[in-house]
Amino acid sequence: MNGYASILLLILVAVALPIIIWNLSWLLRPHWPSAAKYSSYECGIVAHGEARAKFSVRYYLIAVMFLVFDVETVFLMPWAIQMKELALFGMIEFGIFLFLLLFGYAYIWSKGALTWE
Amino acid sequence: MPTPTLSQSLAITLIQCVLVVLFVFVVVPLTVFAERKVLGYLQQRLGSTRVAGGHKGVTGWMNRGMWKWGRIPVLSYWRGIPGLLADVLKLILKEDVIPAKADKFVFFIAPALSMVSAVVVFAAISFVPGTFFIFPSWFPGLAGLPVSGGIADINVGLLWILGVASVGVYGIVLAGWASNSKYPLLGGLRSAAQMVSYEVPLAISLLVPVVLSGSLNFSEMAREMAIGLSAWGLVPQLLGFLIYLTCGFAETNRLPFDMPEAENELVAGFHTEYSGMKFGFFYLAEYINMTVVSALAAGFFLGGPWLLPFGLQGLFNHLLPAGSWLAGPHAIFFVAKIIFLLFTYIWVRGTIPRYRYDQVMTVAWKYLIPMALFNLLLAALVRCAV
Repeated sequence: MNGYASILLLILVAVALPIIIWNLSWLLRPHWPSAAKYSSYECGIVAHGEARAKFSVRYYLIAVMFLVFDVETVFLMPWAIQMKELALFGMIEFGIFLFLLLFGYAYIWSKGALTWE
Repeated sequence: MPTPTLSQSLAITLIQCVLVVLFVFVVVPLTVFAERKVLGYLQQRLGSTRVAGGHKGVTGWMNRGMWKWGRIPVLSYWRGIPGLLADVLKLILKEDVIPAKADKFVFFIAPALSMVSAVVVFAAISFVPGTFFIFPSWFPGLAGLPVSGGIADINVGLLWILGVASVGVYGIVLAGWASNSKYPLLGGLRSAAQMVSYEVPLAISLLVPVVLSGSLNFSEMAREMAIGLSAWGLVPQLLGFLIYLTCGFAETNRLPFDMPEAENELVAGFHTEYSGMKFGFFYLAEYINMTVVSALAAGFFLGGPWLLPFGLQGLFNHLLPAGSWLAGPHAIFFVAKIIFLLFTYIWVRGTIPRYRYDQVMTVAWKYLIPMALFNLLLAALVRCAV
C-alpha cells in the first residue's frame, strides 16, 4: 500500500480516538449547569475587565524572528541531504549562508531583540 | 512471499495503526505511574500506594489489598497501579464545564487537535527497518504476509514529523485564546513563544543526522546513524543529542521548561478552564509528545533498533558474535531506549528546578541556536572530510 494512503488511515484512526472517548464520556458524565460554575476563573473572585487584554509586543517579535529562522532551516534541508555530493562547494555555500545569517543574528542581538525583560 | 491484495494491505495497515495506538496507550499510563513512583523515590517518599477513598466499599477493599501487597518485596512497588484506573475513571466521569464566555467551537477543537497531531507523528516512525513480523499460517486471510516495522516509511519522514509535531502548538494557543480568561491567555502566549523559540534549535539539531546520513527517511537515518558512521561522527552526534534533548524537553513543556503551566504564577496555564475528558486529552497529548520526542532521540542518536548508541554499533559490530540478535536491529532495543528516555524526563524533573521565563528565552536564542549551528558545521565537516 502506498505510504501516504496508510498515513491517511492513521489520521482517521487518530481522529476517531478522541471522538470515541469523548462520546463515551458524554454517556457517563453528569450535567448540572450553574451560572457560577460557568464563569471564568480568576482566583475565586468575580472576574473583572476583558480577558482579551493587551499583551507584550515581544511575543510578536519572537514570532517574526521564528519565521526568519524557520525559513532558514527549510533552506538548509536540501543542502543537508546533498552534503556528500556537494562536498567543498557545499561547504563554501554553507559558509556564505551562515555568514549572512549570523550577520542578521548579531544585528538583532545588538538591538536587544533577544533579551527578554 | 505473496503480494497482498488491496483489502489485505488495508487490513495490515489497520493492524499497524491499532498496534501504534495500543503502544501509546500502554506506554502513557505506565509513564504516568512511573512519574509518581520515581519522583517519589527521588524525593525520599513512597509515591502512590493507594487509591482515594476510605476503609469501606470498593476503595476500602482495594486499599486493604494494596496494604497486603506492600509486604511483598517486588509487588510493593506496584501497589499504586489501581490508582491509574481510578484516574481514568475520574477523567471520564467528570462533568464537562465550558465557560460561558468561551468560544465554544475552538474550545472544543483545541484538545482534540493537540492529541491527534501527537498520535499522527507515529506514521513516519518505524520501529524496525524492513519486516516487523510475518503472519503465521493459521491466521485467517493474512497468512504469510509481512508487516513492516513502520506505518509509512516515507522518504520525507523527518519533514512529516517536524510538520505534524508543530501543529501541536496550535492546540495550546487555541486553548489559551478560546478560554477567554486571563490565566489561560497568558499561559497560551508564553507556551507559543517558548515552543516556537525552541523549534529553531530543535530543527537545526535534527539536521545533523540528515547531514550525516544524507536522507530524510526515518529507518534509513536510524541505520546510517547506528552502523554507517566513522568514529568522527561521534562528536557532532553527542552534542546534537544534548541540544535535541534540551529542546525536546522545552517542546513538550516539561520541567525545567514548564512555563505554560507554572502553577505558582499562572494557576494551570492554558488548560485552567478545562475539565473532565478535555483536560484528559491535553494530559494524554503531553505524554504522547514525550514518547514521540523520545522515539526521535532514540532513532536518530541512540542507535534506534540497534544495541549501541551514538554510532558505536558500527564501530564495534565486528566484536559482536556474527549473526547473533545483538548485532541486528530489534524492536525491543528501540522500545527500551524510548522507555529509558521517558525515565530521563522524570529524572530531570526531579533534579532541576524551573527556569525563569526570561532565562528560558535566553537559553533558546542566545545559547542553543549558535551551538546548534556550530554543531551543524561540525557535522558537515565530518561528512565532507571523513
